[in-house]
Amino acid sequence: MNRHGFWSDVKKYKTLLLMLTPAVIFFLVFAYLPMAGIILAFKQYSYTGGVFGSPWNGLDNFRFFFNSGDAWRVTRNTALYNIAFIVVNNVLQIFAAILLFEAVGKWFRKLAQTAIFLPYFISWVVVGAIAYNLFNYDVGTLNVLLKGLGMTPIDVYNTPSYWPFILVVVSAWKALGYGSIMYLAAITGIDTEMYEAAEIDGANIFQRIMKITVPNLMPTVIILVLLAIGNIFRGDFGMFYNMVGNNGLLFSSTDVIDTFVFRSLTTSNEIGMSAAAGFYQSLLGFGTIIFANYAVRKYDKDRALF
Amino acid sequence: MINKKKKLTFSLAFVLMLSTLLSACGGGNNNANNTAAETNTKTENVAATEVPGAVDTSKEVKLKMLMIGGQPADYDKVFAELNTKLKAKINATVEVEFLDWSDYSQKYPLKFAANEDFDIAYTANWAFYNDQALKGGFMELTDDMLSKYMPLTWEAMPKVSWEQAKVDGKLFMVPNNNVEVTDKVILYREDLRKKYNLPEITNLESYGNYLKTVAKSEKGITAYGAKAADGWKWHELDQATLEQNNNWNLVDANLLPLAYDLDDTTGKIFNIYDTPEFKQLLTYYKDLADNGVWSKNVVSNKNDVWQDIKAGKVSSYAQNLGTVAANLAEMRRDKPEIELAIADITPDKKKIAAISTQNGMAIHATSKNAERSLMLIDLLQNDKEIHDLTMYGISGTNYVPQGDDKYTAGPNAAGYTGFSNWGWNSPLNRQDASYPVEADDMFNSWQSSIYHFPLETFVFNDTNVKNEVANIGNVMLRYAIPLEYGLIPDVDKGQADLIKQLKAAGIEKVQTELQTQVDAFLTTHK
Repeated sequence: MNRHGFWSDVKKYKTLLLMLTPAVIFFLVFAYLPMAGIILAFKQYSYTGGVFGSPWNGLDNFRFFFNSGDAWRVTRNTALYNIAFIVVNNVLQIFAAILLFEAVGKWFRKLAQTAIFLPYFISWVVVGAIAYNLFNYDVGTLNVLLKGLGMTPIDVYNTPSYWPFILVVVSAWKALGYGSIMYLAAITGIDTEMYEAAEIDGANIFQRIMKITVPNLMPTVIILVLLAIGNIFRGDFGMFYNMVGNNGLLFSSTDVIDTFVFRSLTTSNEIGMSAAAGFYQSLLGFGTIIFANYAVRKYDKDRALF
Repeated sequence: MINKKKKLTFSLAFVLMLSTLLSACGGGNNNANNTAAETNTKTENVAATEVPGAVDTSKEVKLKMLMIGGQPADYDKVFAELNTKLKAKINATVEVEFLDWSDYSQKYPLKFAANEDFDIAYTANWAFYNDQALKGGFMELTDDMLSKYMPLTWEAMPKVSWEQAKVDGKLFMVPNNNVEVTDKVILYREDLRKKYNLPEITNLESYGNYLKTVAKSEKGITAYGAKAADGWKWHELDQATLEQNNNWNLVDANLLPLAYDLDDTTGKIFNIYDTPEFKQLLTYYKDLADNGVWSKNVVSNKNDVWQDIKAGKVSSYAQNLGTVAANLAEMRRDKPEIELAIADITPDKKKIAAISTQNGMAIHATSKNAERSLMLIDLLQNDKEIHDLTMYGISGTNYVPQGDDKYTAGPNAAGYTGFSNWGWNSPLNRQDASYPVEADDMFNSWQSSIYHFPLETFVFNDTNVKNEVANIGNVMLRYAIPLEYGLIPDVDKGQADLIKQLKAAGIEKVQTELQTQVDAFLTTHK
């Protein structure tokens, strides 16, 4: 058989293709089909007209966002927070994964793994309530402790400058378990013969980690970071909204595109304007991921996503 | 064939409905001296005997109704009974979909945007009525439809209520039939006032004095409770201290800081933040905040204020009279050792009656069963038996009727409560026998000061300025809330900042647009 026709390929890889089908259907239904909704960003949505029948209104829907004077601030906040999350979370996750991998004692390892995984399952609403009970000025745990030690209580909820740290810490705390399991899986996949060889050659544990584990993890790191970068202009709404809420004093340092749009449009229910904001985020995200992928390609062709 | 049959059914129904209407009118006229309740029983009997005849030939329909609030535990029992009655009366059954309080504001518009299949929806001026009416989510209701399909309501409802419910001259809602005053009053700890020998609370000064004393002397009790960051863009006392106290009214408190004076016949619109009265109020608030009257973290408060009051952790809050009266009754029942009282801090000012759109029911624009839906709303609002059932649940279980117009809580009162069945409030409503007498007295004393004004039913159409409106709302949350709760150290600078930011957000454009609409409204409603 010299000719590799399309159908013979299908036949040859039928098992693999079958395994791929659910994912393809998923993305088709939840990602590609809804894309048609982008046109709503350029329309004056009305119920009678629906998605396709509503009249066009050009770039009107974008005016709200860019005339607000806050577009730059919230876009910058969103990107900076996400960069901080990506860097801090990944570093900590890799660190935790290596610790778990090197930890002695199966029992201890399982316990530690469960403990750091637990926060992942706590909803942001609950985390928000916990934070409030920790930080509130009058009866919060933190201030009760400070007062007990004879120090002046701090007013966390009225001081914007604390919040970048709080949010980064909380995000790391919550994502640590999930991410470290992914990296742990990648580490477990590294050929054990390399470790054995290194040990025979007299490499100590730090040398083994730095020369074997970390370089072998790089492909996984790059893929995960690239995927995360695509969402760099999407704020984690659940997190920001539940941690900060509508506390206007903190907006200067905590407002992200998603919370800003949510706040502005919940009372007016303008679908077109929300669609416009979403489209803006998608465009920025698309641009960043293309650029990031290009940069990775330049550096090492095999490690790029596409 | 089918078409012919349908036509025949329809004309038959039409004729019978018409006769129902005529007999209803006749009944009303003949018994002009009778009480409303009696008239209602009469017309109900007529309806009961005639309507089934009309619907016998028609097919049975299932109506879907959208309500706000959690599903009551006894929903199945109550609505099973309702459906038996409805089947007999109008050959229809109804099924309710509940949108929980916690997220109705997101889900409700989506139901319309996605054009889901439902026939009836609860709506109100605070629950998307104008918004959905302007967007085309509701079916327009004509006088013909109303008089044909809901004769009881058509007769019982004051004409002015229909007028108040019109948006741009068109009606989209069957409003409830109930007089309510929207003014905010204060609920406070009477025992604490007595303990510190404080004067009666009758105005801002005496209230401020009470709050400061409690804050200073009662450790562990927060003097004033608010859920400031609940999306509401005002200090929770503003309605009393800023609007009522100055006889002002905000055009749309949900969206804009623009108001008018109740007495001003020219309807001049002004920015409420840019007034000496507001500046003065800020000083009042700042003084309270500096004295620790409310928590420094009031803007992040996540607790239910009433529950905190009940637990003895908070001493006072502001709400409308109905809510506060219910609180009072609840406290007397559950914790008689804590003594609460109600105070009106603007007693000699004009009172604003809720316009009819405070609660109501609307028909979904794409409903296929508008006729039967209207008939259902008619029965819900004005059929004594069905009204009792849907408002209070099953007699003897959820409530115990006391005479014709009162009730007491039944053994399972909690099993049927908590959703927006106020949509069909009517003169048939029963009053809770434990309703505090002072709340009743206060309401009665207000009757003489209820003030009707030309702009009462004005509705702002923000289509031309929605970008600005969205941004203004944001500025209010970000700059006005912290300022009003005294969290900004320099009040004057805070106010200047707020006004500056509002200008940047385009308040002047909105004000001009609003003024144009108000002027046009006043010319047509002279």
